[in-house]
Amino acid sequence: MDACVRRGLASDCPIVIAVRTIWEHRQVLRMLVRRDLQRQYTTFRLGYLWTLLEPLGMAAVLWFVFSVLLGARSFGLSPYLLFIVLGVLPWWWFLKGMRASTKVFRRARGELIFSLLPTQIWILRVIISSGIEFVLSLPILIIAMAITQSIPGPLIVLFPVAMVMQFIAMYGLALIIAPAVALTPDLGRTVRIVLRSLFYFTPILYTLGRIPEVLQNVAAINPLVGVFGLYRIGWWPDEAIPPSALVVSVASTLVIVVIGVIVFHRLEPRVLKEA
Amino acid sequence: MARIRIEPNLESAVDFRHVSLALPKRKRRQGGGRRQRLRRLAGETRREEFAAVTDASFTVHPGESVLVLGARSAHRRALLRLAAGTVLPDSGTVERRFLWVPMIDLARTLGRGFTVRHNIYLLGGLLGMTPDQVAEFVADIADSAGLASKLDRHLGQAPASVRQKLAWTTAMATNAQAFAIDEVLAVGEPAFRAQCFAHIAELRSRGVTFLVASEAPRQLDAHFDRSLYIDDESRIHALDVDGGIERMRAARRALRSDEDPQDSEDDN
Repeated sequence: MDACVRRGLASDCPIVIAVRTIWEHRQVLRMLVRRDLQRQYTTFRLGYLWTLLEPLGMAAVLWFVFSVLLGARSFGLSPYLLFIVLGVLPWWWFLKGMRASTKVFRRARGELIFSLLPTQIWILRVIISSGIEFVLSLPILIIAMAITQSIPGPLIVLFPVAMVMQFIAMYGLALIIAPAVALTPDLGRTVRIVLRSLFYFTPILYTLGRIPEVLQNVAAINPLVGVFGLYRIGWWPDEAIPPSALVVSVASTLVIVVIGVIVFHRLEPRVLKEA
Repeated sequence: MARIRIEPNLESAVDFRHVSLALPKRKRRQGGGRRQRLRRLAGETRREEFAAVTDASFTVHPGESVLVLGARSAHRRALLRLAAGTVLPDSGTVERRFLWVPMIDLARTLGRGFTVRHNIYLLGGLLGMTPDQVAEFVADIADSAGLASKLDRHLGQAPASVRQKLAWTTAMATNAQAFAIDEVLAVGEPAFRAQCFAHIAELRSRGVTFLVASEAPRQLDAHFDRSLYIDDESRIHALDVDGGIERMRAARRALRSDEDPQDSEDDN
């Protein structure tokens, strides 16, 4: 950024150029996303239903185990069913997007040889298509609201904000993961393990308020803490997330994006060589 | 990232200055997965590279058409990718005056689960066309690939020749001022090849620049002004067309005679 300011030309700044070129190619991006979704929905006989069934099944199992069998619903907020659904749906988007990001460049190898588009398009593609699936899975949330008969308050307006924040955090992470895995395939396995443990380190089954207060702000370094807090704040305006944790989380998201941009800029030439 | 930089004020179509590039070696198939994994477990993380282009300095002027020769396809392809900017040099600079459309393995992207129309839009998009631009040509493209009546059907198991035609005509519809073409002309039906050459000739007369890599330079000589020969040490020699072809044949013969004694040793 310094360099841009020094030159006094905002339009010369690499980030501005990157955003502009991606915007110029948004139609191709749309086609690629459509291609992903089309594959998703035509390969399987149940098509769209899988988008609902997968997270629904996961939410149902978690709810049964933790609420009915273990009686641990006090870990979360009540109604616990709604609490779990609000955790599982965005988590599913995160999981799918991150898993896909470990494979983007292997999948796009043929295209990278000749594609004249910015390389980030391939990363945006998997995050957007998994995000669209997330939006398409939102009917589950409405069902959960109907079952638990809970209407959200005015802070529900922060729901889209949470989506934007999740998108940004995922993009930043994918900018690091995708080229790293392309260059060192072993990291793909590591990412999978980290994702599995992250499920328990993220307040999906419990609220941040249940962990010791000293650790809350440390845990909030995980950008998903803020994201999940914002998703839930419409229903539980006071308990969903402490303000200080939200600030930490947003700040850490921004840091991740900056690191992602730098890492990607460094590794891009080597990724192109792999094609 | 706008990694493909265009310098509209440049005089030449593409200008290489002391360009070197090393590429990772393709993983060897033999040995299978377990051996690879064991080697990695043992700490072997360094991956071998080979020099694809070493200290290349040359210029291609607008309107020229240049044949890229060399015994190894990886070297030729690397040169085309460098010219188009889809791979960046390790050292040195490549400058280009306009966008080069790389026509390298385009047919591989065509998805059989998608309609012909969709495939044309996507390939066009990847080559930098907007959907509006593609819309103008989509009928023509399908027509010259012989798929006019199947525009909204799935590409399915279309034969390789049809896919190749589709890719070729889509790339040509970009109306670019320069093309970097790999191998397309070596395969395909004779009739289609003739059509491609007619097309190239027509574009040449309009001042379009070409960089064409080929393994089988027979019958090509008439279409080119000169050649670039990449030797085994990945150094580039600017030659005339006949000189390049001669050099390539000699290299092939040498390669063959090198291989023969090795084979007999293995037998023993």
